[in-house]
Amino acid sequence: MDCPIKTQEHTEWLLDYAAGRLRGERLAQLVGHAETCGDCARFVTAQRVLWNALDRWEPEPVSMDFDRRLYRRIEAGKAAFWIRRLFCPLQPFWRPAVPLAAACLLIVASVMLHKPQAVIAPVDPAVRVEKIEPEQVERTLDDLEMLRELEVTADQGDNPAKSL
Amino acid sequence: MGASAALDCDAELMLRVKDGDGASFALLLGKHRASVTHFLYRMVQDRSVSEELAQEVFLRVYRSRETYEPAAKFTTWLYRIAAHLALNWLRDAKSERSQERLDETSQGAPARDVADCAPSVEQRLVHKVKVDEVRRAVAALPDKQRAAVLMHKYDEMEYSQIAKVLSCSESAVKSLLFRAYEKLRMRLVHMA
Repeated sequence: MDCPIKTQEHTEWLLDYAAGRLRGERLAQLVGHAETCGDCARFVTAQRVLWNALDRWEPEPVSMDFDRRLYRRIEAGKAAFWIRRLFCPLQPFWRPAVPLAAACLLIVASVMLHKPQAVIAPVDPAVRVEKIEPEQVERTLDDLEMLRELEVTADQGDNPAKSL
Repeated sequence: MGASAALDCDAELMLRVKDGDGASFALLLGKHRASVTHFLYRMVQDRSVSEELAQEVFLRVYRSRETYEPAAKFTTWLYRIAAHLALNWLRDAKSERSQERLDETSQGAPARDVADCAPSVEQRLVHKVKVDEVRRAVAALPDKQRAAVLMHKYDEMEYSQIAKVLSCSESAVKSLLFRAYEKLRMRLVHMA
């Protein structure tokens, strides 16, 4: 057998041998080789030391309430699943309506909020003239009437016999 | 033979879970709870985080029951989820985590009792120091090497299975392990 360390082939055999996991023909081959190869023998010894060192590291035991917490999460997940499932069939119908409803709401809100305090109608000079003209005419007619009366009064003052 | 029997057993249980058998899930949980949690604990070296991740593993197993197909060994699938979660957590926490945290954890962790006969205070201290040294040496390994070592050493997984879990070739796993053990030997050689 070729030396696994020198050839860098089947190095896993050395790891497995040190771990006591090598079986059958491979084990026999490696045992035979390690008896004559100092490098491999040293490797196996060092690996066994490491293996024992790693064995010292025992993890903390799992919490007593591990299963209870897990099943609680599973139940919570189930509830969420059913809620999703209940609303899921409605989704194709109400989903497109959401942006439409939002847009309508926005328009209504903007209309309601945009309420001008006092509407000032644009002043059209023509309209204004039309509104004022009859009054002016009326006033002018009144003025003319007054003038005519004054003239009559003045004529009577100059020639009282005439007025009689 | 034993491995294939285990494959059949776990996969069968999972198929029963798929059919709505809650008791089979409880059996799977009971069988793999400790090994998965311990693997995660050795990966992240934080008890509460490891349990949280382990819960997530089993939650994902349960949620995937409807789509489960026994294409690979059940434990390969299980550890694939666990390794994925652990590697993601380590990646995310890398920027925040520092060696200080590791030291704090090791100081805060309760001293483990040495089995069988009651050990003296000195023996307990020596044991604790040695365990801490092992923890630090393992923590110093790159994440993928660490995962490979833990699955190889503590879960006695085959190279092909580790390769599937870590999504790499079998030869890559062998060289990953060889390098990882080399580093560990150098750090822990004095522990003979």
